[in-house]
Amino acid sequence: MSYIEIQCGDVLASVIFIIEGELQEIPQAEAINTHITTCGACAAEIEHERVMHQLLQDALKRTCDEQAPEDLHQSIHNQLRAQMAGAGTTEVVTQFSMTEISIEIDEFGNVEHREIQIEQTHIQHFIDDEK
Amino acid sequence: MTSKDLVLESAADRTSRFERDALVFTNQLYAAALRYTKNPEDARDLVQDTYLKAFSSFHQFEEGTNLRAWLYRVLTTTFINSYRKGQRQPQISNNELEDWQVAEAQSHTSDQGKSAEMEALEKLPDSDIKRALQEIPEEFRIVVYLADVEGFSYKEIAEIVGSPAGTVMSRLHRGRKQLREKLADYAKELGYKVGGSE
Repeated sequence: MSYIEIQCGDVLASVIFIIEGELQEIPQAEAINTHITTCGACAAEIEHERVMHQLLQDALKRTCDEQAPEDLHQSIHNQLRAQMAGAGTTEVVTQFSMTEISIEIDEFGNVEHREIQIEQTHIQHFIDDEK
Repeated sequence: MTSKDLVLESAADRTSRFERDALVFTNQLYAAALRYTKNPEDARDLVQDTYLKAFSSFHQFEEGTNLRAWLYRVLTTTFINSYRKGQRQPQISNNELEDWQVAEAQSHTSDQGKSAEMEALEKLPDSDIKRALQEIPEEFRIVVYLADVEGFSYKEIAEIVGSPAGTVMSRLHRGRKQLREKLADYAKELGYKVGGSE
């Protein structure tokens, strides 16, 4: 059985994979896990990294929550409508429609009338190059 | 119904569908654009451009896939291709792929250093957090933002920024590290005690 000796430094260098829950992505995953279970200092360091990452994430989420200016919503809406009406895209619509009518008259003069309609629409979009 | 009516109706329907599904992300995209461009005017333009680009290729977007991730990809590529031209960016080293694992082997931090670092991060005002994010290189800022604010996985980020997953992981690691170093510096300026490795 092969055993790869892992140093504390190697474990700490891979800490990003542990924090991201992606340790399985690296070849030394198993050796690192084994090391952590036996090395208290590394386990504490990883715990600290987790806490720090959580704090950093909370701080970033808290600060980066700007709202778009009120009129930006409206101006995007207007621009989209203008693009829709204008030359932004060209659509070619191919429409196929067929009606099959059958009329049957039996010996007593009863009329049976059937109508089957088949419709198919195909829309192709062509994007005009901007500017 | 004439075919002309059909064309107009279909385009209108598609526009409505786009507006219904995509415009709910306007605030989020704007906040990201602010971090990318660092100023409200460019952020505004970037968000508008993003929506126009996304709209004109909306027919290529596969329904059922992640619309939010797709919008971030349009935002990020639009920013990289158009907005940073002319801006001087701090360059990051070319050997970033190699040095996350080998060169960054660290020593253990003291318990005192740990608690001081945590305290600093909890006490710093929001303006300092933003300032630190502004000051780290763009390549780092984008991935840290996408991971830690938007919660994308590093594989999703690789798709969004168009870089290999390993590169993203490396940038994420180094970006967070630089961010923490900057925050520790600010904390020191403010008079908190922050210890490093001992």
